[in-house]
Amino acid sequence: MEKSDSQKIPQPVGENVQRIDALEKVTGSAVFGDDIQFGPGLLHARIKRSPHPHALIKKIDGSKALALPGVKAVVTGEGFDGYLGLYLQDRHIFATDRVRYVGDPVAGVAATTEEIAEKALDLIDVEYEVLPAVFDPEYGATPEAPLLHPDLKNYAVANFIFPKADTNISNHFRIRKGDTSSAWAQCAAVVEHKYRVPHIQHVPIETHVAVARVDDRGKITLWGSSQSPFAQRNLIAKALHISQSDVEVIAPYVGGGFGCKAGVSMEALAVAIAMKVRGRPVKLLLTREEEFHTAFVRQGVVAYFKMGCDKDGKILAMENRYYWDGGAYTEYGVNITRASGYSGTGPYRVPNVSVDSFCVYTNHPVGGPMRGFGMPEMHAGLEQCVDELAHAIKMDPAEIRLRNCVRGGDIILTGMKMHPTGLSECIQKAREAIHWDEVHPASGPNKRRGKGMAIMWKAPAMSPNAGSSAWVEMNEDGTATVGLGGQEIGQGTFTVMAQIAAGTLGIPFENVRIARPVDTDYSPYEWQTVASRLTWSMGNAVMAAAKDAKRQILEVVAEAWKENIDDLDIVNGNVISYKTEESISLQDITIYGMPRENFNGWIGGPIVGRGKFMPTYVTGLDPETGQGERSVVHYTTGAQAVEVEVDLETGRVEVIKAVAAFDVGKAINPKLVKAQMEGGLVQGLSTAFFETLRLKDGVVINPSFVDYRIATSSDAPADIESIIVETAQDDGPFGARGIGEHSLVPTVPAVANAIYAATGVRVGAPPFSAEKVFLALMEAGLVKGV
Amino acid sequence: MSLHRINLKINGVAEQVDVASNTTLLQMLRDRLALTGTKNGCAAGECGACTVMLNGEPINSCMILAVECEGADLVTIEGLAKDGQLDVVQQAIIDQGGVQCGFCTPGILISARALLNRNPDPTDYEIRDALVGNLCRCTGYVPIIAAVKQAAQMQKQAAQ
Amino acid sequence: MHSAHPGLPEFDYVKPASLAEASAFLKAHVGEARPFMGGTDTFVRMRDGFWKEKYLVDVKHLEGMQDITYDPAAGLVIGAAVNMNRVVASPLVKEHYPLLAEAAHSVASYQLRTRATIVGNICNASPAGDTTGACIAFDARLKVHGVDGFRFEPLQTFFKGPGKTVLQPGDIVVSIHFPPAPRGAQGKYIKLGRNAIGDLSIVGITVLGYPDASSSSGYRFKIALASVAPTPFVPAPAEALLAEKTITPALLEEAAQAAMDACKPIDDVRSSAVYRKAMVRNLTHKALVDVWGRLSAAAR
Repeated sequence: MEKSDSQKIPQPVGENVQRIDALEKVTGSAVFGDDIQFGPGLLHARIKRSPHPHALIKKIDGSKALALPGVKAVVTGEGFDGYLGLYLQDRHIFATDRVRYVGDPVAGVAATTEEIAEKALDLIDVEYEVLPAVFDPEYGATPEAPLLHPDLKNYAVANFIFPKADTNISNHFRIRKGDTSSAWAQCAAVVEHKYRVPHIQHVPIETHVAVARVDDRGKITLWGSSQSPFAQRNLIAKALHISQSDVEVIAPYVGGGFGCKAGVSMEALAVAIAMKVRGRPVKLLLTREEEFHTAFVRQGVVAYFKMGCDKDGKILAMENRYYWDGGAYTEYGVNITRASGYSGTGPYRVPNVSVDSFCVYTNHPVGGPMRGFGMPEMHAGLEQCVDELAHAIKMDPAEIRLRNCVRGGDIILTGMKMHPTGLSECIQKAREAIHWDEVHPASGPNKRRGKGMAIMWKAPAMSPNAGSSAWVEMNEDGTATVGLGGQEIGQGTFTVMAQIAAGTLGIPFENVRIARPVDTDYSPYEWQTVASRLTWSMGNAVMAAAKDAKRQILEVVAEAWKENIDDLDIVNGNVISYKTEESISLQDITIYGMPRENFNGWIGGPIVGRGKFMPTYVTGLDPETGQGERSVVHYTTGAQAVEVEVDLETGRVEVIKAVAAFDVGKAINPKLVKAQMEGGLVQGLSTAFFETLRLKDGVVINPSFVDYRIATSSDAPADIESIIVETAQDDGPFGARGIGEHSLVPTVPAVANAIYAATGVRVGAPPFSAEKVFLALMEAGLVKGV
Repeated sequence: MSLHRINLKINGVAEQVDVASNTTLLQMLRDRLALTGTKNGCAAGECGACTVMLNGEPINSCMILAVECEGADLVTIEGLAKDGQLDVVQQAIIDQGGVQCGFCTPGILISARALLNRNPDPTDYEIRDALVGNLCRCTGYVPIIAAVKQAAQMQKQAAQ
Repeated sequence: MHSAHPGLPEFDYVKPASLAEASAFLKAHVGEARPFMGGTDTFVRMRDGFWKEKYLVDVKHLEGMQDITYDPAAGLVIGAAVNMNRVVASPLVKEHYPLLAEAAHSVASYQLRTRATIVGNICNASPAGDTTGACIAFDARLKVHGVDGFRFEPLQTFFKGPGKTVLQPGDIVVSIHFPPAPRGAQGKYIKLGRNAIGDLSIVGITVLGYPDASSSSGYRFKIALASVAPTPFVPAPAEALLAEKTITPALLEEAAQAAMDACKPIDDVRSSAVYRKAMVRNLTHKALVDVWGRLSAAAR
């Protein structure tokens, strides 16, 4: 028998195994938050919310509401003086003295039915003193703007976030590298633009839901649709001044997250209300309209770019400024600001860089993390500017990207040395797949065809020391159960983790189970299901746990067989000896151990492997220059190219073909990787063509699917090609890194560049609705006006 | 508000339920009968997550009162597989990778089954047209459309 | 901030045994009761709190409500409770009034069309109704049952404003009646929504053309525009041009321009007025070219 090569990728890693959750999801038996049955004791909560974008609360009177039969509690911020906030603690559970956005919760009701709770809301009297509001981040950053958080200087804050006291600036991130001012003179072309990228929303088909129960000794149990059970445990415990171990978060399947179910949004409200009706579970389920009005948004940004290149297309300098519309509170906004700062040049090697990224409080809904975490918003303008540079010096837009794109060994804008990356290969492959150099005729006289490309990079944006842990427990029949704390939100992480565990242990994929739902009392710690970090970070933890379990098993067998552990292995669920060719099934021995010779006692016992992973190497960055040795853990890079046809009669843009190529390090499950690339692309197209959360004086004026349109089955391109590039990640499991978010980062600018190629018109910031495109064509004189 | 006693058949089983006038079919299924496979995504007839088959036709269960379903024959996602055997649309959506978060999946499968009932050999356009009322935020629809095509093929082969 | 209720507010569901009983009930509960068909508008507006009826009167089961009949002399009758999918699938509609089937097919989604009805949409007088244009173009009439018995209401005079019609308390529309389609008629409905399929219309263009010896051009064109005015809008000057002058490619452009000039759309969350106007011109032109192409091919 040949000993297997330890470098070899073991089965089923790299294979298209069937999703572990597929069967229950197609039969309707998969349990989501609102599906859990709590029996007749369940109370229903509804929330009284601010109608004003900015006002002082003068008085709240809930007495009439409390008198309504069926109402069990009316809860306000009284008694909840703690703060919530992941990086910057700036938000009470209920607004207490001041409301800062339309929808800010001021009181909650628990009642025997949802309808009674809803009726009770009308009986709560709240007196406000309306204050002037801030709806524009640039204005908000000026000294003239009304101050929204006078206490900013007193808020607890993470050591890599820099709020400016007595302003609305909750974070300012700076990059200063080289000398931009002297670089412009050497440029053959300089492009300068401003883009105002609108707010959009995540729009999971499952709205937010949370059920909380508080028992007699004060232990809190929270069931919810959550990407962050452990972060919720931590943040809610802190806000309530209680122990983290007295908060248990149970997280069933998530019906779509995309970031909006990360951190704490409405969950703390359910907990606070449940504290007033001890013993009874309290459910808060957001209506779709409430979701649009009050759930996290992808914050808007006002972005300024200035960039220049020499006659050979070498980019010499960039000066970029981003004003993020952080909204009323900054659960994540401050770190999106940071991420767009340290990645602020896009995936380019630029010698002279100046980036300023501001997070600004406004009286808009709260900015949360959304798929891409600032990168789609930033790349939207940046990649159009690079395109313009290419045209300005008459260079092929793909060529300018190839010449300047970041490569392994480059020193990037923060001073960090770039790891090996396959971005240029992605560009080449996307270029080939879209038939970049071929000209295809339009389908009619009123149609125009064109191709566009955009490239991207994105690092997991997180606390530098975000950790993962896992356990692998062996069962009587030789199967393994993997305990983990990351969430299955549709991306397929349970399947990928089972593949990693099976491959590492040496057992068939079918023999791995995932312990679920994630329950902070029983599951091992995981920071959050965000940042496209699970395959890499949790994957490392699962791999370590599986290795640990394997080592324990082999030690038992080695002792029983009196062999050297190095001669043993686990293959297809059996321990084998390469030396003696002896073999024994894992069945039974992983629980009961093995008898010694002549039944002279026993060896071993139940096997539980444990593993963890935490990046330890990320360094701080200089607050003035943003320079440091290692700004991020790694970057996933990629390219997209699209061919579009623009209808001159209506302005409608049809995507004829779309191509995506991303460097994922190693595809643990290529089918799932492609599913991320394809789904992300269409979500990107949805944001490119349809989506804006329309805010008028702080009020969302399109709070329903009727007027917040997303892509439907009729809008997906017929021809999508997804290409996997694999440049191994040195610290990724089998070389893997993330892909979940990246797939929509370059879509908007790729479409914009294609529209330009088709019509010669630059459409600016998304969405490129038929109306917007038509009006741009009209302005350019290409179509008849009215 | 008056209560109404209704009799109907759900997934082949006779049910009798007392419902209030304003109870929607969706609320009755989820809150009264614990048939939670049918999902609530908007309560406004826009997202399609609550789609069920009523007397053979797909319908948004949030857009019909329970009391209107007297005498109806209803199929929900829980009734799609027969005797442990997946419907071809269920098998095909697994094969094509058309399931991610799974929240829209029940409604999509009902719409797909209804389409194949009325049109066993749909074109790409007809599939997209039939699914336009089922929003999916994860997959980009492409594998779902492919799944309906595959299911049509499987159905044809099984009939031969 | 206005936010919809989680569920429907309280009301009583009423299922009368006859039209007479239904009309009497509605008349006795003015402002408190409303007949409903598929509920696709009713439920949404009640959840939103805009409609606060104490009674919803189900009339779908009443006599004639579910029938589709056709008679070469009398034309087509569609019961008020016939859902859009049945209209789309009806061989009678497909054969004699394909324009109506085309327009009905463009409404929302299949599963919503299991509930949505042509008459329901007409009664709610939504300016964005996709099928109303075809009904106007075919000179349809509504058969109404009121406390005084049956009467007919022509569509031309039915709409009084957004959400407002000539219907009186106690009135129930029981069916919509289409006279026989003009001989040789060709029709086109073009809907411009934000998504490729589904959605509400930014503009909806209905064009019906047919040979007509009584007009100078030898043809008559009916045009109806959705979403450009408070009620479905007929651009009379465009229709007049096409009746009076010899039809040429230039005249089709002129008529499209006249349609645009005649309408005064507004800015709303779906579109700007400017875009709507341009689209009325461009898509009316497109529809006219399409219909004229078929009419002239038939004449050859």
